[in-house]
Amino acid sequence: MTIFQRAFRPFKYIKHRYVGHHFRVLSAALKTVLLGHVFVEYGYWAGACQGPSMLPTIEVYGDWVLVSKAYRRGRGIKIGDLVQFDSVVEPGVKVVKTVLGMEGDYVLRNSPGTNDEMLQIPQGHCWVVGDNLDASRDSRMFGPMPMALIEGKVIAKVLPWNERRWIENGLKPVE
Amino acid sequence: MASRILSIFHRGTQSGRFIHDFKYWAFTFATWIPAVIFFNGHVGEVTWINGPSMYPFLNTSFNEGLSKDVCWTSKWSPTTDLKRGMIVSFRSPSNPETIAIKRIIAVEGDTVFTRAPYPLPTVQIPYNHVWVEGDNRDANKTLDSNTYGPISMNLIQGKVTHVLWPWKSIGPIRWQEFKGRTRVIRRRNDDITPRW
Repeated sequence: MTIFQRAFRPFKYIKHRYVGHHFRVLSAALKTVLLGHVFVEYGYWAGACQGPSMLPTIEVYGDWVLVSKAYRRGRGIKIGDLVQFDSVVEPGVKVVKTVLGMEGDYVLRNSPGTNDEMLQIPQGHCWVVGDNLDASRDSRMFGPMPMALIEGKVIAKVLPWNERRWIENGLKPVE
Repeated sequence: MASRILSIFHRGTQSGRFIHDFKYWAFTFATWIPAVIFFNGHVGEVTWINGPSMYPFLNTSFNEGLSKDVCWTSKWSPTTDLKRGMIVSFRSPSNPETIAIKRIIAVEGDTVFTRAPYPLPTVQIPYNHVWVEGDNRDANKTLDSNTYGPISMNLIQGKVTHVLWPWKSIGPIRWQEFKGRTRVIRRRNDDITPRW
C-alpha cells in the first residue's frame, strides 16, 4: 500500500459508509450536534455580552467572553470571580456579575455610602454585584443569589481580538 | 516476538476480529452518550423520590420499607406555565448539588401564610418566583420555602408529570385536584403576569 493510498483510506471509508445511507448521515449529524451541545453545557461556552452593568471590565456592547462550565453550581467559586448565572428574576436570561460574598459572609445590603445595614449570606447562596454600581441590577435588589443558578466562571475575554485577555481574580493576597 | 504479540490485533485472526468488532461497538455506544445526556437534561428523565417530604402523595409507604416511588419528570421548558399544585423538581437553594421535589403552593403576586421556621407571618411572592412546600404535615420532615423563602423560577429543572411505580398509584399526576392546607391569597388578576 502506498502512502498515497494509506492517506486516503479514511475518506474511502467515509464514502463507503455514508454515501447513499441517508439514515446514517442523519444520525451522524444529530449526534454531532448533541456532542456540541454537551460540550457547551459541561465544557466551555463563548458568547456576546451586552449591558452597562459590568463596566469597565466588560464593555456595553460587542464583547465576547469565554465561560468555563467546570465551575457550574458554584463549584470552586471564590470571592472576586466573575460568574455567569441564570437571572434570578427573569427566566431564560443569563447574567455576568462579580461575586462579592460567599455563604456565611456578612455583606453590606446596599451600595456603600447609602446605608449601613448588613446581612449574613445564607447557606448555598452568594452575593453578586455588578462592577458598575450605578447601572446594575444585582444582589442589592434581589438579595442573596442561590449558587445553583451559577452556570460557570468567566475565564477570558476573547473578542474584540486585540483586547483579548485572561480574566483573573482581582483579589490578590497582600505580600 | 513483538510481531507475534501484535498479531492479536491483526484483523485476519479471530482475536483480531473480536477486538475490531469490540472497538466498533464501543465507539458506536459512546457516540450515543451525548444524546442520552441531552434527553435527560432537556426532554425527560426517570426520577426516584427520596425521603418523606411528599408523603402521603409520593413515597406513601416510606416508613414500611426501603422502596422508593419512581416518577417521570418532564424537562421541556420547565419555567413556563407553572401553576399552583404542580409538582416540580429544582436544585435546592440551600444545597446546590441536590435536587429537591416539592409542590408549588403559590406563584408570583400571591400572599402566603407561612409556617414555623420562616421569620415573617405572611410573604408576598416576588416576580418570577414561586413558593414550594412538601405535602408532609410534619414540618420537620420537609425542607421547603418555609426555610429558604420563595425560589427563583430559573431553579426549576422539570415538572413531575407521571408516577411510574408503585403499581397502585401508576398514571399521570392530577395536580389540578390538589387542595392545600396552606392559606394563600391569590393575586388579583390571574391572567396578567406581572413583568419585571
